[in-house]
Amino acid sequence: MSVRGLGLTYTTAIDRRPTLKARVKSLGRGGKQTRVIRALDEVNLDVEYGQVLGIIGTNGAGKSSLMRVIAGILPPTQGRVEVYGSVSTLLALGVGFNPSMSGRDNVYLGGLAAGMSRDEIDSHFEEIAEFSELGEAIDAPMRTYSSGMYARLAFSVAATVRPDILIVDEALSTGDAKFKEKSLNRIKELRSDDRALILVSHAMATLEDVCNDVAWLHKGKLVQRGDPKTVITAYREFLQVGKSAAIDEDV
Amino acid sequence: MSTPTQVYEPFRAGLPPLRRYWKSLWSRRTFIAEYSRSELREQHFDSAFGQLWLVLNPLLLSAVYFLLIVIIRGSSDSTRYAHLTATLFLFYLVANSLTGGVKSITAGQRLILNTAFPRIMLPISAVVIAIFKFLPTLAVFLVIRTVLGLPFSWQMFWSIPVLLITMLLALGLAVTISCINVYFRDIASFLPYMTRTLLYLSPILYEASDLKPQLRTLELFNPLFPILDSWSRALVHGQAPLASHMLIGLGWAVGIFLIGTYFFLSREREFAVRL
Repeated sequence: MSVRGLGLTYTTAIDRRPTLKARVKSLGRGGKQTRVIRALDEVNLDVEYGQVLGIIGTNGAGKSSLMRVIAGILPPTQGRVEVYGSVSTLLALGVGFNPSMSGRDNVYLGGLAAGMSRDEIDSHFEEIAEFSELGEAIDAPMRTYSSGMYARLAFSVAATVRPDILIVDEALSTGDAKFKEKSLNRIKELRSDDRALILVSHAMATLEDVCNDVAWLHKGKLVQRGDPKTVITAYREFLQVGKSAAIDEDV
Repeated sequence: MSTPTQVYEPFRAGLPPLRRYWKSLWSRRTFIAEYSRSELREQHFDSAFGQLWLVLNPLLLSAVYFLLIVIIRGSSDSTRYAHLTATLFLFYLVANSLTGGVKSITAGQRLILNTAFPRIMLPISAVVIAIFKFLPTLAVFLVIRTVLGLPFSWQMFWSIPVLLITMLLALGLAVTISCINVYFRDIASFLPYMTRTLLYLSPILYEASDLKPQLRTLELFNPLFPILDSWSRALVHGQAPLASHMLIGLGWAVGIFLIGTYFFLSREREFAVRL
């Protein structure tokens, strides 16, 4: 039971917004105004069930791109991804939410967007409402929510989905310290032998705590993979920041 | 589990496995319904009349166009008013599908970049919204028809197949235009003029039989022409529509649906990169 990303390159053509004007202009000059970006370059990655893999790297290292390819959102330009089981992604919070609807309606909307069935949401609704600690605000329109409340509800919905493979992209930094602690505990609960977890984060301390495997991406290439302590130490040396507060603070 | 449940390989033009696509689309039908419902609610969320606008809109619309006809032609009768409202409401089912569909993919950017799902769901829900908007207008029309004292007949049931053909056409158009808009954003700005032209080319402000013979060729290029004429014949006049019009309308609808869906499905895996 594994996720297998065999040599995977993904090149993207960043065009300006494709409009007629741009088309006509580029026709005159000949050739398209595109830049080719190698977001991922020959990345090989296997994840077994029971593994909790942390992904680290600087901004623009290709972490999110890799997650999107594994989730089937972006097509790879080279290589092959094999996924054994159902994948759920937590790439951004509150996907599919509609701010003018109540929190209650959005639990259904967000849950359905994440691929749950109505019955599943029905049976988990109490749990979601309780976890989000919204109380009576759950029936108020979401545009009246504070950003912390918004994020709390979004995380609560997302954490209820029970897939075989869960991909979490820096989604943990929500709410106050208490809720952070709570969501971290939920992530820990989700660790089990029949599930694979992939966490993308800049929070080194958390990754060291939660993961049993860490991969370091840099400029689309896999630099190092293995024991969390070793890889994170190497990454820290690379960043030359040492064990400063800034990278440990945020989850 | 020795075989992978999902394999992602480099994108090649061509259709994705259709059976699996259909299965995952079908499993998300509740999401389509819920998504459409929330979008629909949002549109009139802050207005005083709220959902009442779903009925007020078509009524005001038909009143304005009726004014236009009375001024241009000098007079008008109840059949003409019934014809105008019936065809105008059906026309707006198609027009709303187009205006809703054109931005469905580009507006669903957050959803597309963060979740894997059959992208065709977005134009489908645009059509579902248009249908939700159409249903109250159909009730309004039946009231108008009764008030005008037009006789009812069994032939009116011909409107059901006509409506189904229209929905298929609306879906095909929405899917096509949402896909075009990903590559050519200008289409969204062209659209109001396109629908306006289509409105005048269709037998709405006039009846199909009023059209000058020189202008008859127009109907060959307008998929809505045979459909709207059949709709009016069935619902307003209580007659069976022309078989040729039904077949031509069906041909257009199936053709546009198949071509549009083919383009959409063979391109949709690339949408995330294009947004």
